[in-house]
Amino acid sequence: MGNFATHKSGPDVTVIQPTGQLNMVGASTLRKQLQEIVDNGGNRIVVDLSTTEFIDSSGLGALISGLKMARQAGGDLRITATPPQVCTVLELTNLNRVLPTYDSADTAFDD
Amino acid sequence: MTEHALDTVTGPETLAQMQHTLDAAWSAGDVPEYTRKCLDLAVSEIGSNIIEHSGDGQPVRLRMVVTLLPDTVVVTLTDDGRPAAVDLSQMGMPDEMSERGRGLAIAHRVLDELSYSRNQEGNRWTLMRRRVNEPHGHS
Repeated sequence: MGNFATHKSGPDVTVIQPTGQLNMVGASTLRKQLQEIVDNGGNRIVVDLSTTEFIDSSGLGALISGLKMARQAGGDLRITATPPQVCTVLELTNLNRVLPTYDSADTAFDD
Repeated sequence: MTEHALDTVTGPETLAQMQHTLDAAWSAGDVPEYTRKCLDLAVSEIGSNIIEHSGDGQPVRLRMVVTLLPDTVVVTLTDDGRPAAVDLSQMGMPDEMSERGRGLAIAHRVLDELSYSRNQEGNRWTLMRRRVNEPHGHS
């Protein structure tokens, strides 16, 4: 499958927008791209979930992987526009505590 | 009783094929949305487990049957791979920063019954959820 769309928000925030199913297949793509972002010096990452239709444990693993890489690089990973199915799975696994939802990619790093 | 089945050899398209089989079952029945979402998730978790582990990196033959009963939906997944090293009595979530190990716990949470058995033909997973349209008691 192809890569997910990415863009910059401001000078130092990279936004990635996974589309469709973040299952084993989609998660593998996301994990690889998050690694590339960090390898290229990006440590403030927003994952825009507005077009993510489905997530399972593989997708959660990719988000946690990206979160750890970004923090090790001195930054953070934040999620926005989380759809109901993703919210449900985050709550089910208690990962809503480490991956709270921010309102928008533009303001996710305003704090 | 209505049945929808898939016979395949595992590969990159398997999860999509499994979801199409579920979608066909959902379009034919009147299963509440929450029940459908729970089964979509549980089938993705168990399906991923089979694809990743059952053949030890090699494809396996997989048969999936979705059965719509008056009060429940049952999905059986059978494969001819190696035995699954699972302990369904240990279903806790891993540490929150863990990147792996949530699949079976998620499936267990969203189902009313999850069972695994092994016979001479291979592995058999049975996933069952009642049709009632409400969050699960212990979720």
